[in-house]
Amino acid sequence: MNWDGLDIGILGPACIAGLLVLSTHVPLGQQVLARGIIFIDLAIAQVAALGVILAQALGVDEHGYGVEIAAAIAALAGGALLTWTDRKWPDYQEPLIGTLFVLAATGSLLLLANNPHGGEHLKDLLVGQILWVSASQLVPVAVLSALLLGAMWVWRTRLSGILFYGLFALAITASVQLVGVYLVFASLIIPALATTGVEGKRRLVYAYATGIAGYVTGLVLSAVLDLPSGAMIVWTLAGCGIIARLLIASASRSRAETPASAARAR
Amino acid sequence: MNKLAIFATILLAFGVRNAQALNVFACEPEWGSLVHELAGDAATVDAGTTALQDVHVIEAKPSLIAKVRRADLVVCSGADLEIGWLPQLIRQAGNPKVASGAGYFMASDQITTLEKPSKLDRSEGDIHPQGNPHFQMDPYRVLAVAKALAARLGELDPGKAATYQQHLADFTTRWQTAIKGWEAKAAPLKGRKVVVHHMSWIYLENWLGMEQIGALEPKPGVPPTSAHLASLIDVTKNAHAFAILRAAYQDPKPGDWLSEHTGVPAVTLPFTVGGDDQSKDLFGLFDSTIDKLLAVAK
Repeated sequence: MNWDGLDIGILGPACIAGLLVLSTHVPLGQQVLARGIIFIDLAIAQVAALGVILAQALGVDEHGYGVEIAAAIAALAGGALLTWTDRKWPDYQEPLIGTLFVLAATGSLLLLANNPHGGEHLKDLLVGQILWVSASQLVPVAVLSALLLGAMWVWRTRLSGILFYGLFALAITASVQLVGVYLVFASLIIPALATTGVEGKRRLVYAYATGIAGYVTGLVLSAVLDLPSGAMIVWTLAGCGIIARLLIASASRSRAETPASAARAR
Repeated sequence: MNKLAIFATILLAFGVRNAQALNVFACEPEWGSLVHELAGDAATVDAGTTALQDVHVIEAKPSLIAKVRRADLVVCSGADLEIGWLPQLIRQAGNPKVASGAGYFMASDQITTLEKPSKLDRSEGDIHPQGNPHFQMDPYRVLAVAKALAARLGELDPGKAATYQQHLADFTTRWQTAIKGWEAKAAPLKGRKVVVHHMSWIYLENWLGMEQIGALEPKPGVPPTSAHLASLIDVTKNAHAFAILRAAYQDPKPGDWLSEHTGVPAVTLPFTVGGDDQSKDLFGLFDSTIDKLLAVAK
């Protein structure tokens, strides 16, 4: 047990980063699950990393916005490519995404043979360290998240094709650099998976609650047990997902068994 | 009553930190061990990493930030060894005492590093512009760092400055005697050739007069190509290398592979305090390193 790390100054920025990631990833995750393309985040993150390494090979300064722009351009290009394959070969979208993932990952390795400093960025993009998040990093991500949420709201009825892949690419590029691929994957998939079968707005509320509970308990447990925060949160997200699933199941069972009494109680 | 006594003992052992003591955060165990030699009970030492971790990269844990937050002094190798995490850690801790000035002690600032590149060229691999930061394996440099560190401790805690100097004098005597012993013992290693995993042994090689004829990672941080491995097998065999050196934290596979192809034994050296059972402090670290080298040098 270790109570030193239980400090809002230490866990606060990480918690805000988690909430920002959840804000866009919970609705996107439901889309990803519905389309059955759950590895798309890994593929897009790898393509973004490849973009960073390419930019450095071409002489872009490794610190500053050049790298961010390169990552975003690469991710958008990857999104455009996946839109095209989705239209052309809709039945093979998942295997094509997997192939894009391994090509981008190994492409980075091939490029890295001559650009070793790109390796640090590659690792940052993939592992991410949620605790190292600083306030200056949070502001642009907060602005981007607000814009993405606005766009998702405006086009909520026709969020498909290039619009979906574009928004997704931008959201993933920002969040992967903030918290890493493992957490991005968990934030996308687990809340959506835990709430399948729930309809409409209620599903969104349940999914957000699951995600927030997962992040908060994960951060607290990682402080108390002195374990790496990112990995801990992935596990608490899964735990909260299972609890949410059980609660939803028992609620719907009690509604189904005694509709009359439930109606009376209301 | 008995239970109460046990509880009080546990509290004393873990809960209550010595309010008078300096809180020191050491990035690597060797500097934690050195602070312990120089300060004794006058400082409480938290080590950020263990011998079984790669100090180039570490996982972010809340306790690390908490340790830096309460530190009066941060002691690290420097020379960009911790560049991947120390700046973030210090920024996140928001502790002005250790952000710069007296509370920020980089061992590399106290000595001259080797392999300082004359020009910075990306094509040469993941090089450190400030030179090779793995200098804890040179006992003379460790002594130079100890002198500067004792002075720094005295600056931060003037009331005990005399104690630190006294500990330093005592450590210097014991260390210099030990160096003579190690040098005498390691005399048979002089002129012998070694192959290394990562470029982390240059200081040990220089000190003991060993010659490095190749490395599994030809450019630091970049995996080897098949052409490089083929030439490395030739070099290792033809030049009669006596050992393939690697640190306790490194993956044994590449060294074992080369060992299988050449018949030259691969040796896992502790590299820092805690790297094996014998390396309980700085003295044990060098004892163990030389014993392990001699064991395969026959």
